[in-house]
Amino acid sequence: MAAATGLVALLDKVAPIAGLGVVYMLAVLLIAIRRGELAALATAGFSVLALNYFFIEPRHRLTISDSENVVALAVLLIAAIVVGRLAATARARAREAEERARLTAAREREAAILAEAASAVLAAGDLETQLDNLAASVTASTSEALRVELTAAPPEDRDGELVPLASRQRPGWIWAAPRSGWARDDLERMAEPLGRLIDIAHEHERISSRFAESEATRRADAAKTALLHAISHDLRSPLTAITTAAGGLRGGTISEADRRELLSVIDDESDRLARLVDDLLDVSRIQAGAVNPRTDWCDLSDLTASAAAGVRARLGDHPVEFDLPADLPLVQADAAQLERVFSNLLENAIRFSPEDEPVRISGGTGGGKVIVRVTDQGRGIAAPRQAEVFEPFVGGRDGHAGSGLGLAICRGLVEANGGTIRLQSTPGLGTSFAVALPLSPQPAPAR
Amino acid sequence: MSAQRVLVVDDEPQIVRGLKVILRDAGYDVETAQNKEAALAALSVRPPDAVVLDLVLPDGSGVEVCQEVRSWSQLPILVLSAVGDEREKVRALDAGADDYVTKPFGTEELLARLRSVLRRGEQDGAEPKVSVGDLEIDLAGRSVRRDGAEVHLTPIEFDLLRVLATHRGKLVTHRQLLHEVWGPGYETETHYLRVHFAHIRSKLEPEPSQPRYLITEPGIGYRLREQS
Repeated sequence: MAAATGLVALLDKVAPIAGLGVVYMLAVLLIAIRRGELAALATAGFSVLALNYFFIEPRHRLTISDSENVVALAVLLIAAIVVGRLAATARARAREAEERARLTAAREREAAILAEAASAVLAAGDLETQLDNLAASVTASTSEALRVELTAAPPEDRDGELVPLASRQRPGWIWAAPRSGWARDDLERMAEPLGRLIDIAHEHERISSRFAESEATRRADAAKTALLHAISHDLRSPLTAITTAAGGLRGGTISEADRRELLSVIDDESDRLARLVDDLLDVSRIQAGAVNPRTDWCDLSDLTASAAAGVRARLGDHPVEFDLPADLPLVQADAAQLERVFSNLLENAIRFSPEDEPVRISGGTGGGKVIVRVTDQGRGIAAPRQAEVFEPFVGGRDGHAGSGLGLAICRGLVEANGGTIRLQSTPGLGTSFAVALPLSPQPAPAR
Repeated sequence: MSAQRVLVVDDEPQIVRGLKVILRDAGYDVETAQNKEAALAALSVRPPDAVVLDLVLPDGSGVEVCQEVRSWSQLPILVLSAVGDEREKVRALDAGADDYVTKPFGTEELLARLRSVLRRGEQDGAEPKVSVGDLEIDLAGRSVRRDGAEVHLTPIEFDLLRVLATHRGKLVTHRQLLHEVWGPGYETETHYLRVHFAHIRSKLEPEPSQPRYLITEPGIGYRLREQS
């Protein structure tokens, strides 16, 4: 305004008053472009007043003597208003266009971040991994300007903007570093799709766990059917032998030798039945997770010796070599269960050993474990079968008298006692089963 | 002298039938009871010389019968139990049962256990000397000979052997051993036993890794074998 008034004062000497009004129009135009319509209107008003006050006779008064000048001023005012209006509209259009471009850029930027986040959620892994990946991808794709935090309470002591994520499954937050170019409303726009992604990850987890469950049930059912089938066969054969022998005993004319023979059939087959029933009970306890070890200090030398004595009493005096170090540490386990493990392993080893080839019991400590090995010099187990011998009814089905449950029971009992069981076998040379139990700090020495 | 009387407590008629025949054939008089209530009634009316007791009864546990009987009598109790029931076995033994056999049991095993619990009922460790195989244990003189040669045992080792020898053939639980040798408050220190038994075996057993005399009952206790 002041600049326009100065310019008009200079031109006053050379131009008529109506021409001078145009200079004020320039000012109105500039103001309209810069400041908008209202400011332009005000400028137009002031311009008319200033022109009147400074340049129209009588000067320095707001009165007009010449009616021609009144018309000029009125025209100036109207023109100023129209120009101001036009300029302001143009300015608003330009602004809108600018804003639209900015929004488009922001949307593109956000779409890229969300695409990264979505592919992080869809990648393989469990729920927590997927959510970690999501958070990491947001951090990475914004060069650490944004961060996703999946905490119940808002992260504290953070400058910058913090907006809650719109997830129904789990609370979370999106945070923008100060001066990172991310405004609060940008974050609010991101909060919705990011929340949805978290919900999708949860949903995904839920569906896949339900699928795994039904798959496991299906497999367990199949295993049970196979088990029932095998059991009924295994139960029937000793039962048949017993009834046959009992029938034979009724005969009036059998010799004393035959009588003894039939009695020992009944004894042996009842034994077999009894052991099958015990094994089945063990398998069902193991499968139900009801092994409940009664943990106490166990001396593995003592346990293997007592297992060997029991097995040798049943199967005859097959040679067993004891090669355990005298200072083998005690382990914390259920003694009776471990004895069953070693009985089963020794029984297998003896059954598969050539006559008079000793079964060896050796062991030691290493890697935080106490290890006992039962090794035979039998024909070994071919590599493809090594994995399946621990499955019920697979291991022992080679035509010997075992129930086929022995190794499954061994694995179940060892694992229930915090240990592992592994086998090493070379076909033609023999098989070695290694039972490894955790090495505990040893108890205070005996008094 | 009249025959010794044995009370058989079991709810399974076929098992009772078999046991009656076996025990009568071995020279015992047999009475039977099918549940806890009938057993306690029979025991209080006319106490037998020994009880053969199933741990699982329709109206309660054999453990309760043991506790009840022990409150007024020391009569020998032999328990019948299933494989894998170590917890129940130990409870019954700690409640006063003298020994157990695992079902299904052989006739010989049952009769041997019954004989040894009955002998304990009669003598209760009164013998001054016990001999097993080539071991001779002088309980009064606190010395042990193997093949006639004196073997040196520490006092604790001898006490452990003494407890087993006075209950010869019979199972002695970890708890009983610890209580008798170390005294009250030591009943759970089972690792003491592992170490001392390893030492005793190395002194007394011809082949310590395959013991003939000192037998481990895993998770339960030890026994001194009667005949080798």
